[in-house]
Amino acid sequence: MRAFTALAAAELRLLARDPASLFFMVAFPLMLLVLKRGDSGAVPGYLAMIAAIGGMGALPGLLASYRERKVLKRLATTPISPVLLLGAQLVAQIAAGLAGSVLLVVVTITVFGAEPPGNVVLLAAAFLLCSVMVCALGFVIAAVVRNTRGASLIGMLVMFPMIFLSGAAVPRKALPGSLRQIGDVLPLTPAVEALGNAWSGTAAVFPLLILAGIIVAATAAGAALFRWE
Amino acid sequence: MEAIEVTDLRKSYGDTLAVDGVTFTVRAGETFGIIGHNGAGKTTTVECLIGLRRADAGSVRVLGEDPARRRRALAHRLGVQLQDSSLPERIKVAEALRMFGAFYSDAADWRRVMERWGLRPLARKAFGDLSGGQKQRLMLALALVGDPEVVVLDELTTGLDPIARRETWRLIGDLKAAGTTVVLVSHYFDEIEALCDRVAVLARGRVVATGTAGELVARTGTASLEEAYLALEGADR
Repeated sequence: MRAFTALAAAELRLLARDPASLFFMVAFPLMLLVLKRGDSGAVPGYLAMIAAIGGMGALPGLLASYRERKVLKRLATTPISPVLLLGAQLVAQIAAGLAGSVLLVVVTITVFGAEPPGNVVLLAAAFLLCSVMVCALGFVIAAVVRNTRGASLIGMLVMFPMIFLSGAAVPRKALPGSLRQIGDVLPLTPAVEALGNAWSGTAAVFPLLILAGIIVAATAAGAALFRWE
Repeated sequence: MEAIEVTDLRKSYGDTLAVDGVTFTVRAGETFGIIGHNGAGKTTTVECLIGLRRADAGSVRVLGEDPARRRRALAHRLGVQLQDSSLPERIKVAEALRMFGAFYSDAADWRRVMERWGLRPLARKAFGDLSGGQKQRLMLALALVGDPEVVVLDELTTGLDPIARRETWRLIGDLKAAGTTVVLVSHYFDEIEALCDRVAVLARGRVVATGTAGELVARTGTASLEEAYLALEGADR
């Protein structure tokens, strides 16, 4: 446990030192909120976006660079299990996303005078599932694409269309019908739905179940395909 | 007592035979050198010792354990410095030492290790901002922060300037005085001669000779370890 805490704390510190992560997970969603004049209807989508930027935009390149630069190999010679490192990455990503999300929600309520979320516990659960889900997808990307540049590029290429088509960055009803249909099958769409439901206080189990299913499938695929060197 | 026993170790990658029957033993407290040309099988041998790779055949025992089966338990008693491994660019020297210290059940005080290896002035510097020599020194300190019984050092002083090399030698001497078993992979003959009690010469995946530097020189009728090595390597060809 002590080893895991040390590892997760170090990874979180490294994330906080990364200007790109800091900007996209904290400053960028706040900017969007200001452009939207504090419309709280957009906030659940932004929460999904924050998680997706971390899990799919940053994580694949990070893991691939750890592998390429033999950081993973060096850690594999210590008593920690390599799986622990992936767990620490996950915890750090969730914590960073949570920090950005809490700030966004607090600003929405205090500065723009929006109603607080209808069901905070459900919102937290939906955010947690959403974060784990996008990290699991990021893990699959790092498993399939071997070099650092390729993994970051593919991560970005998967993440950007997804945040636009799933309703995270822009509402889906603003999209043309054909693009909306693509959004129907994207894994981030149920995450946006789950967060939206929790925000408005409606308890819907189905999107959460889909998220859980994607997590199980992606983790299994990632674990089967991932190479330590 | 033997700290390490390697018997008829074999390992190939696809069609490439990397290690073809390597046998040697390292006594507890001994500083043991492994020397050989590029591709002689040094790194593969080391990776089997520390449990990163599983041998195709033969047996490996480190402190009485099989590293391939008991990697994690053994890792608490083992310190490793790998050839060209690295750390995240933005991690600071003190953070790295503290984090690695937290991995081991019976670690040394990381602040003392930092002091000892002259890393204190660099404590707040990021890994990516260190010079090659400073990185090397940190990786060595990380190998020792777990207070290991056996230390495996691959390419110990590559990239160090002459002063840093001598300083590193002195610290390895301290380890030896403290009774730590050291396996040193190198292609610097002066380093092997200065530090190692015995040395194994590897060529094309096999051990062609084992002994003290003096024995190898005497056996080949040469004047230095370097010449002895060249004679042994050539005779095996």
